[in-house]
Amino acid sequence: MRRLRVGVLIVLGLLLLLVPQLGGDYYVHVFALVFTNVILAASLRPSLTCGQLNIGHSAFMSVGAYASALLAKNLAVPFEVSMLCGALLAAVVGLAIGYPSLRLRGVYFAMVTVAFVEVIRLIAQLWVPLTRGMSGLSGIPKPNLLGVTLATKASQYYLALFLMLLTLLILWKLESSRLGLIWKSIGMADNLAQSLGVNIANHKLLAFMLGCFFAGVAGAFYAHFIRFLFPPEFGFLMATNILVYNYVGGRGHFAGPIVGAAFLSLLSEPFRGSAYETIFFSIAMLLTILFLPGGLITLPGKLAELRWGKSASAHSPSPAA
Amino acid sequence: MGEERIRSQSESRRVSSALLLETHGLTRHFGGLAAVNRVDLRVAEGEIVGLIGPNGAGKTTCFNLLSGFIRPTAGTIRFDGEDITRLRPHQVVKRGLVRTFQLTTLFQELTGLENVLLGLHLHSRRSLGRALFSRRRFPPDEVARSREVLEFTGLASQADQLARNLPHGHQRVLGIAMALAARPRLLLLDEPVTGMNLDESGRVMALVKTIRDRGVTVLLVEHNMKAVMGTCERIVVLNFGQTLAEGSPAEVSTNAKVIEAYLGAGLAHARG
Repeated sequence: MRRLRVGVLIVLGLLLLLVPQLGGDYYVHVFALVFTNVILAASLRPSLTCGQLNIGHSAFMSVGAYASALLAKNLAVPFEVSMLCGALLAAVVGLAIGYPSLRLRGVYFAMVTVAFVEVIRLIAQLWVPLTRGMSGLSGIPKPNLLGVTLATKASQYYLALFLMLLTLLILWKLESSRLGLIWKSIGMADNLAQSLGVNIANHKLLAFMLGCFFAGVAGAFYAHFIRFLFPPEFGFLMATNILVYNYVGGRGHFAGPIVGAAFLSLLSEPFRGSAYETIFFSIAMLLTILFLPGGLITLPGKLAELRWGKSASAHSPSPAA
Repeated sequence: MGEERIRSQSESRRVSSALLLETHGLTRHFGGLAAVNRVDLRVAEGEIVGLIGPNGAGKTTCFNLLSGFIRPTAGTIRFDGEDITRLRPHQVVKRGLVRTFQLTTLFQELTGLENVLLGLHLHSRRSLGRALFSRRRFPPDEVARSREVLEFTGLASQADQLARNLPHGHQRVLGIAMALAARPRLLLLDEPVTGMNLDESGRVMALVKTIRDRGVTVLLVEHNMKAVMGTCERIVVLNFGQTLAEGSPAEVSTNAKVIEAYLGAGLAHARG
């Protein structure tokens, strides 16, 4: 089973490396955006694991995107530095929002984050001298690495792939360490975690800021890739989409948001920008809740169970017993 | 579970019979109701003290106050001479006052071992860098110590089971194991044997005695009178948030006021 999984991952990795060779610029573009969505979805996970429903993640992407774009455009800061600044600013904004509001639970915290999306959108919209408001911010330089401009779509694709893999590696390492265990414990029973000496306020804040940081990374890449920023893009709709990636993919495993983001953003591609996009996401969410409460990642297990159930009942009790 | 460590810890800190926990005029109001009313509680190092009383007497509120989950309306709590009245739960634990919960409050989706590992939280050298660059999931010494705690509490064979799949009795013991992993000096047990059969509760109470013999002071709330009388050296009876009586099991069980509080409540129930 493990060998099979590793094999699938290797084949998948090779395919992803070959996308620019096999497909045209269109696929390169689409996949680079999928990678951004994967970063966004995965970076929401630490907070969700702590039991904090964050419906405002797109705001932090917006902060990272605008900060990086403005630094690069107005001050000619190299991409590595502007991206890092954007991500750090997103984390600092996360600290400012999270510190007072993370003591709220469940729906109350969610309401704060929803309101925050609107606040950031309005700031981007109304601070015209800086962000150009509703005219949109254009003329953002292409990303560069070590002074070399990544002019082709293919090279930008590899940058996105690299950023995604790095983000996933870091988040995976953290989640599988004691820190991840503490996040899970807070999500499961925060009073018990407290009674064992976990400072839940600090850990929730750390998980939240970490997510904001990587949302900032995704935003920065997005800004230099699309090279045009428009405030309403980072609105409530995108925030809910990030959440839907997590639920449709599955909350129980690290792979959940990755699968969810990849699956939904590829499948919704034909509807992108149209009114059908929202309908598509709502239907996906409804179907998941109804038929796969554990998300897409539980699908192989469910299928195996169906086949097992038939053959197993014949000769032996269930393997769990 | 580091038997020597615990023993030497308690010996070096203080001669036994020194006062470990002391509350003075501890009071908590909920609206107009005084759930806990001017309670003076004293627990000496090395004791097993029982806190009993009819339902609604304020026992659990007392625990919540001591462990920092709620703040008192008035009064002070001193632990080992230090005023801990205003501390938050995780700060209280850091000083060695660890509680368990009444219901089977566990991390249900984690294994027994992981549950105990979380109890070790305080003593872990955790850092972001360590989490990022270490190849092992958990430091081997912490895993080893968690296994020792499981061994000590008789749960070694359940280490890899999910907590929710354990039988009720084992779940309760796992709760105690987690608290032990946090290296308490004073352990607050909230109804440790409720819902257990005679055999199970006997084993848990024996475990409580062993824990005390290893240098941990115990304060427990329990409705099972046989367990309380057989284990505790001193008993404090609460009624309507106030201390009703205090003394050895024999003294308390023959105290007229205590009998009235229990039987009176029983009669009122029968009539109502």
